[in-house]
Amino acid sequence: MNTAAGRLIRAELKLMTRDPLVLTFVFAFPIVTMLIIGGAFGTKPTPGFDNTNPAHWYVASYLTVVIAAVGLVMLPVHLASYRERGVLRRFAAAGFGRWSFAVAQLVVGLITTVVACTLLLAVAAPVYGLPALHDGWRVAVALAFGAVGFVSLGVLLGTLLPSARSAQAVGLLLFFPSFLLGAGGPPPHVMGSVVRHIAGPLPLTLLTNAVRGPWLGLGPATGSLVGLVLLSVAFTAVAARRAVL
Amino acid sequence: MDKTQVVTVRGLRKAYGNRVVVDGLDLDVPAGEIVGLIGANGAGKTTTVECIQGLRKPDAGTLRVLGYDPVTQAEELRPLIGSQLQDSALPDRLRVAEAVGLFSTARARDGGDLLERFGLAQRRRSAFASLSGGERQRLFLVLALLNRPRLVILDELTQGLDPAARRNVWAAVRQLHDEGTTVLLVTHEIDEAEVLCGRVVAMREGRVLDAGAPADLVDRHAGTATIRFSLPDAPALLLDQVRRLDGVREVERAGARVTVRGARPVIAHVGAVLVGWGPVPADLSVHVPTLEDALLGLLDGADVGDEGAEYRELVGGRR
Repeated sequence: MNTAAGRLIRAELKLMTRDPLVLTFVFAFPIVTMLIIGGAFGTKPTPGFDNTNPAHWYVASYLTVVIAAVGLVMLPVHLASYRERGVLRRFAAAGFGRWSFAVAQLVVGLITTVVACTLLLAVAAPVYGLPALHDGWRVAVALAFGAVGFVSLGVLLGTLLPSARSAQAVGLLLFFPSFLLGAGGPPPHVMGSVVRHIAGPLPLTLLTNAVRGPWLGLGPATGSLVGLVLLSVAFTAVAARRAVL
Repeated sequence: MDKTQVVTVRGLRKAYGNRVVVDGLDLDVPAGEIVGLIGANGAGKTTTVECIQGLRKPDAGTLRVLGYDPVTQAEELRPLIGSQLQDSALPDRLRVAEAVGLFSTARARDGGDLLERFGLAQRRRSAFASLSGGERQRLFLVLALLNRPRLVILDELTQGLDPAARRNVWAAVRQLHDEGTTVLLVTHEIDEAEVLCGRVVAMREGRVLDAGAPADLVDRHAGTATIRFSLPDAPALLLDQVRRLDGVREVERAGARVTVRGARPVIAHVGAVLVGWGPVPADLSVHVPTLEDALLGLLDGADVGDEGAEYRELVGGRR
């Protein structure tokens, strides 16, 4: 595959394995925090966790933490750094296809997500066990739209923010509240109603609800899924225009 | 389009907000030549070549590059141009050999040969971040030449290089010319333009001040040679003889020190007079004008404003 996109994908995948930010934030952070918080609430089903095993509740939630880490932290910093240092201009001047960089980032973001999610499940399985999938198709659709949407959001942030430092600051500012309120933080029943209202429409909350509900048999979460799909389409459309070389 | 012209630009205009950076610029780059765009920082050189590559959209004017319109046919055009851009980089952790692989299209020549030719073969496994300034520039040159470009654009190619590295890069550019490649060289290093270019285009505030072969520019804007020598007891007769020589414009005497200014052939005539008169003065010196002098003369002849001062400061630092 000697297209510009193919060459970029190969190079970017190699570079990713050498990037400490990716290795720690995308691969290590979700696993470590899942092990900590998953163990904090035990394994006995309780009403606060919709009568499910709390550890399983978090295992089903943490795949979305990986997706958010890729979209809100890894990609914005990566792209803003490329733009700031003139790497994108060099690609453009060398005649790389207009869409090659956007396609490469999408593919690399999705591959990173799949690998990091697989690692997370591989660690969770012997420690907490993997919860049974009640509606695998819905979970797969939610994960697919979530991954594409957050990768697109990451590309969009990377093309909008002026520098790698600002991308890191904004990315972390978006990531941690989203993470705490919508995926890997305390369960909703311990949050006040105001906080729950703030958390509800966040993209990561929509994604987590759309994955966790059908996975654990808590309901189809159709509203969250529809919201997620709409956001994902919007992010992808805007990001595709912004990432053209 | 004239097939011997690789680049034809007419009436190019580009502004950023209210600041006009390129203003009605005309430019021709004939096939197989090295053409230099020279001028102080901010003269509009980089914006001009970015428009030529289709990286920026001009506000007005027409451009034809290798038969393509860079505005509407950038995707077809860019693969035919090899460019070394000012202020650009590669990913820090990308290794030299990987960079060659990344930029190699189906038209690419053997990257290993190019790395060898530019002294980077030993650095194949080195990350971009670990390369010195000279090695980075040589790698950019390798990447610019990799896909057999028909036009090579080099923007401030030797900026930040030590003298030895500069001469290596100049040798590489001369080799490109020998192979028939057309080169558009953007530089504010006048000696670089003088050494490499068959034709130079002097720019100021987005406009062309003058264009031509370096020697023609020197003749037009700095044609005066200066000869100095000391002759403690020089008789008036000798000085009269010098004054009457063809092409002499001025003879000054300050104590024993004599300064003669005139057209370049005066150098030979004054030499002949001195040899005929007796022992040649030991402190005889000759200053032949350079392209740098010509550009200063050119700026003096124009309303140069801040840019002239900036240019004088720039070249003054090296004198």
